[in-house]
Amino acid sequence: MTNQTGHHTPALQIHHPASFRDPAGFIFTVDGVVYRQVNRSYTRQYEQLIKSGLYQTLTQESLLISHTEVAGPAQTPDHHLTLLPEQLTRITYPAEWCPEQLKAAALLTLRIQQLAMTHGMCLKDATPFNIQFHKGRPILIDTLSFDLYNPTRPWIAYRQFCECFLFPLYIHQYARTGTAWVATAWPEGIPASLTARLLPLKSRWNTGAWLHVFLQARISSRETTAAPRSLSFSETKLARLIGHLESIVSRVSTSPAKPSAWSNYYSETALGQSYLEAKEQLYRQYLHQIRFTDALDLGCNEGRFAKILAETGASVMAVDSDWLCIETLYNKHLPNILPLCIDLANPTPASGFGNTERSSFTDRASSGLVIALALIHHLALRNNIPLPLIADYFSRLSNQYLLIEFVPLSDEKARELIARKETPTVGYDPEHFESAFNRHFRIERRERITGTDRVLYLLTKFDRT
Amino acid sequence: MTTLFLYIDPGSGSYLVQVLIAAILGGTFWIKKFWRKLKSFFTRIFAPPSNRGKKES
Repeated sequence: MTNQTGHHTPALQIHHPASFRDPAGFIFTVDGVVYRQVNRSYTRQYEQLIKSGLYQTLTQESLLISHTEVAGPAQTPDHHLTLLPEQLTRITYPAEWCPEQLKAAALLTLRIQQLAMTHGMCLKDATPFNIQFHKGRPILIDTLSFDLYNPTRPWIAYRQFCECFLFPLYIHQYARTGTAWVATAWPEGIPASLTARLLPLKSRWNTGAWLHVFLQARISSRETTAAPRSLSFSETKLARLIGHLESIVSRVSTSPAKPSAWSNYYSETALGQSYLEAKEQLYRQYLHQIRFTDALDLGCNEGRFAKILAETGASVMAVDSDWLCIETLYNKHLPNILPLCIDLANPTPASGFGNTERSSFTDRASSGLVIALALIHHLALRNNIPLPLIADYFSRLSNQYLLIEFVPLSDEKARELIARKETPTVGYDPEHFESAFNRHFRIERRERITGTDRVLYLLTKFDRT
Repeated sequence: MTTLFLYIDPGSGSYLVQVLIAAILGGTFWIKKFWRKLKSFFTRIFAPPSNRGKKES
């Protein structure tokens, strides 16, 4: 392997594929442990971060990931320090967050910028990719995001902040579509000019939108390379600007005008409370039978069953395609549950430069236990994914166990999905289900949920080693 | 683990926007301050004498 400077490094040390933009340092892994190298060019900034007390303030408030300086592996000749940060279990991307998560990450960025300014520093970038969700809250993971503050200059990351955080939140406030699609299509931020076209006329009455979207769109359209660089600024002005951004972001409303199709699923389910209770009882029995440290809940809805997984102490990734369900779950800030907006018929692809900067959902999601409750009929009947393909995919996600509910065609919810289909449904019955999953899993338990035709299975993946 | 943007182009337009927004915010700050002073001035003048006494004590 050859790193940035062209020097050969031992094969075990892997330079992280997303860590190449910042000359201040980079991330690398050794035997799965993540380290951060601080380069010599960043010595002054790093010293200011530590000596000013900013690092201590930020880590005490859990705003910045903590680290220890280690003698450990050095990578390149411009090495100054090696940091061993607190290790994160899962990495997620803004294209997978609900609006409330993006808003929390935006407020975190502004709070850090405010604290940095009082310690003679400022954030040199404001990208949501530097933020991860840790124990139910956002945290900045890039220790090298700080630069020395020059009070005569405006905020270098202002435009990036607007394009990555503020504009997607404004679009969501008026369109109520979630923010994930904006982050998917515009990973490096949606431009002001496009945001101005997408926002409705009434948004012009919104002072924040007028100042940051429409004014900015107008000015950037006239931008020339010879634009004045000598504009003077002051700390008071910047503090006022950041304070204004904080006040408008905290006032962005993320909740929908009306409930989504899935948000009241549990309370309004046609099958009733007795079905849920019977399922939960059986589910708890199955969980007692197995041991796991991490779990993945596919189609988690508002997290009723994910919370039971979390009670066991496991770290749980809970995904659903409905952003409002994810928002409800996120707002509980449960330390063991990481809620994400994922459409299983189209999960996050590997993307960025060389398709390696950001890994796919599938690569990041595999867990000891995968649960898929009241989900398979949606994938099979709505998305027309054949059962063998679903079984293949679930076997890639599960490292050991799969707890899955089969919803037969006789079920009211399944019938609703095929009601308007003109072609007959073939290959969707318990026999096909079992033969598809038998290719990867052994059936440990198979029980009908009392009062329904639905069946809850506990499966163990075949050991292929 | 992380994507960094050191070489982000702040955009000369973005600097100009910040200068303008800061000026507008500064302007509204002073207007609000002036308005508050004006309001408290008139409140003091037109307040009943009993209230005036309370405020002074």
